[in-house]
Amino acid sequence: MAKKMGFLVNVDRCFGCHTCEMACKNVYQLEPEVRWRKVYEIKEEYNLPERSFMSLACNHCEDPECKRVCPVKAYSIREDGIVLQDQSRCIGCKMCIMACPYEVPQFNTKLKKVEKCHMCFERLDKGQETVCVAACPAEAISTIDLEEYYQNGILDSLPGFPDPDITKPTTRFIKPRTGIQVRRDNNG
Amino acid sequence: MVLQDKITRHVCPRNCYDTCGILASVRNGRIIDVQGDPKHGYTRGKLCAKGYCYIRRVYSPERINQPLRQLGRGTGRWQEISWDEALNIVCEKILTIKDRYGSTLPICLNKYSGNFGLMNFALEGLFNSLGPTTQVLGSPCWSAGLDAQMFDFGANINSDPEQLERSKLIILWGVNPAWTAVHSLPYIFAAQKNGAKVITIDPYFSETAKKGDWYIQIKPGQDGSLALALAKIILENGEADIGFLEKHTSGWNLFKEYLGSLHLEELSENCGVQKHVLMELADLISSSPPVFIWAGFGMQRYVNGGQNVRAIDALGAITGNIGRSGGGVHYASLSTWKLFNYNFLNSSYKNRFLNINNFAHEISGAQSPPVKMLWIANRNLFRQDADQKELVRALKDIELVITIDQFHNETTYYSDIILPTTTFFEEMDIVPGYWHHWIALNEQAISPIAEARSDLEIAKSVSGKLNNLRAGTCSFPEEMDEKYFLDREFSPETYDILGIDHWSLLENGPVKADIPTVSWENKKFNTPSGKFEFYSETAENIRLPALPILKQPSRCGEKYQLRLLNPHSQHCINSQFRNIDWLQTIKQESRIYIHPITANMKNIKNGDSVKIFNDNGEFFIKAYLAEATPKDTIIVLQEPGDMTQNLNKLFQGVTTDMGNKCTGNPGLAIGENFVDISIS
Repeated sequence: MAKKMGFLVNVDRCFGCHTCEMACKNVYQLEPEVRWRKVYEIKEEYNLPERSFMSLACNHCEDPECKRVCPVKAYSIREDGIVLQDQSRCIGCKMCIMACPYEVPQFNTKLKKVEKCHMCFERLDKGQETVCVAACPAEAISTIDLEEYYQNGILDSLPGFPDPDITKPTTRFIKPRTGIQVRRDNNG
Repeated sequence: MVLQDKITRHVCPRNCYDTCGILASVRNGRIIDVQGDPKHGYTRGKLCAKGYCYIRRVYSPERINQPLRQLGRGTGRWQEISWDEALNIVCEKILTIKDRYGSTLPICLNKYSGNFGLMNFALEGLFNSLGPTTQVLGSPCWSAGLDAQMFDFGANINSDPEQLERSKLIILWGVNPAWTAVHSLPYIFAAQKNGAKVITIDPYFSETAKKGDWYIQIKPGQDGSLALALAKIILENGEADIGFLEKHTSGWNLFKEYLGSLHLEELSENCGVQKHVLMELADLISSSPPVFIWAGFGMQRYVNGGQNVRAIDALGAITGNIGRSGGGVHYASLSTWKLFNYNFLNSSYKNRFLNINNFAHEISGAQSPPVKMLWIANRNLFRQDADQKELVRALKDIELVITIDQFHNETTYYSDIILPTTTFFEEMDIVPGYWHHWIALNEQAISPIAEARSDLEIAKSVSGKLNNLRAGTCSFPEEMDEKYFLDREFSPETYDILGIDHWSLLENGPVKADIPTVSWENKKFNTPSGKFEFYSETAENIRLPALPILKQPSRCGEKYQLRLLNPHSQHCINSQFRNIDWLQTIKQESRIYIHPITANMKNIKNGDSVKIFNDNGEFFIKAYLAEATPKDTIIVLQEPGDMTQNLNKLFQGVTTDMGNKCTGNPGLAIGENFVDISIS
């Protein structure tokens, strides 16, 4: 059976250090404003503003809107589910940027073309980890084959993550635990 | 010219726990990416967000490419000059001053922790080759805690922090490694996976606290009350490790008596932690050996900071965790730091030392002779120092201000001459750390960018120019290269401890120093008594309390009732990294954390623009209401955004109780800063 690759984001582990994002920029030498991976604060949830994070890159959707709307067929889906964009075809029309619910495709103002995360497919093909996974000091990100991987308590969405029904993203989440807080204003 | 592709080893020289091993890939003489060095056993092939951005620092278009002269301080009218011109200006001034005063004492160096490489000390070496000069003594940072541990243990050492994994209870006391030591988190997570619990004690709910099992919000500066309360309960519950206490400690009976005299209600009231919580924590500590306490730097930046660390040490001792694998009280280690000779610091002259934490006053107060030339290096003095107003005033009498840096900042603004310097990718060095036990070599990956010169090269060029102008002025060995200077930093004993016979072998990878994995395992302490000293005569002799008794932090005055804390932010180290474009894309807007009730009293709403002020100055920032902030405290992260305002202007420079013993002067008690807020 074909693989279905996705990112597993362990929010319980993630401490929002942005190392994944900068490691990605470092290896691919991205323009400053271009963010293949972004670390988002999870707001208004778990009663802990700005202390929970989800690190997101391309969600390598099963029904990617980017691919559907692209007029020059720059997008394709590999057999293992990784969504690729062929930048040589891109005409910079930004349709994909408008269509993606996750704001994944990034516009490179120098090249006047779009680019995005390709799940380091060349590394995966060599049996290596993606750059973000290898760099994460918390081991909070991993790549999984959704056809094989199963663990209790895995979620397909978190607060702030747009409705997964639209494009069927392959990203999965482990939600944060909350320890005991003894605060001075809630003592006793 | 075709340059060979290569991968070079590096060490991040920042003032940080992790001191990471780095690999740089170099192609055609240019770094194309940086990676963590997998041979570094503590950081294990990973960097932090800042580390992965280093290329943007090396090749930043904002780098200062050649020596600059400012035509009038603060005018921003910079003139590019050649190295020869710059050296002429500097050296002629040195000679003029020397002739006028018959001494080199009016020449002053203020250098601190921008880079911790051995070769960065070449600047002290230069000064020590001139004659008697004026230099700064002390540290704004960790002084009180170092002294506290010196009194209790007799040395500043720690267990290998990899020992965190073996702990059953980790207490992160006033430290936020999720932001300031990310490579320690995997060890903490591993311990948690093995069933350990993690308690974070902090005045504010940090990211580290979020990852723990318990978060205890403490009143700022009341760590001593909490530690003593826990010690008292543990003793009275019959859970103290009497065997350890009777055999390996000194002054136990006196301390026991003291604990007996304390009132739990009072301690609980002091630290803001209720009695039943104290009981539960004490139980947890007694029942979960080994207990690893990591005492952070922030906690000791109070007028009672050293005393608080001593109380925490005492808690470690009373529970028998000192010298235990996976246990202990860990603050900072000078073990690997002290492996080197620091030849540059040797001086045959009688230098004049100014207190680094009272610099503004002491530089203007220095007489016969006064200070006439100020050289600033490895430091953004006009951002990070206390009492900025006085500092600016003190400059009036200084005839020449020279700054070595890579970028313009608050300090270059007040400088006459800037000498552009290399990043650590452009020089060779050894950088010891103060937490893990690894030593690594920093190789030179690329030629210096533009006309940048390393601190060592600058020292050599100044020496050369001085002797050219007047033979015999400077004894700095100007012909020697960094290999010579590195050679003399190593002794046979050091090579033994590192298990190599020459430092160049570090090209093959970092090595771990052969120093005790578990500190104080043999229970032989370096104190005068040879025991853990509850009662320290060393402390008593310099008029500090002999016992770890309770001391109070400063109280707020009538006028300014809110304590202002400014812990380190996530993506800067002091003012370093703020101008890195990649990091700017993830930067959060600077904000002041206020408890909603406090905000309500001041009619401040979320998102309002707020003025923080006291008699020293004012600071404008956006309000962020968060219940996890204490009501009597406001928090602004040390996020030096732009250069238009500086939070340190509000801090006059109160100092800590301890620091003289280990660093020559007390530290800065930056937690003791009181302000008011209003809508701006």
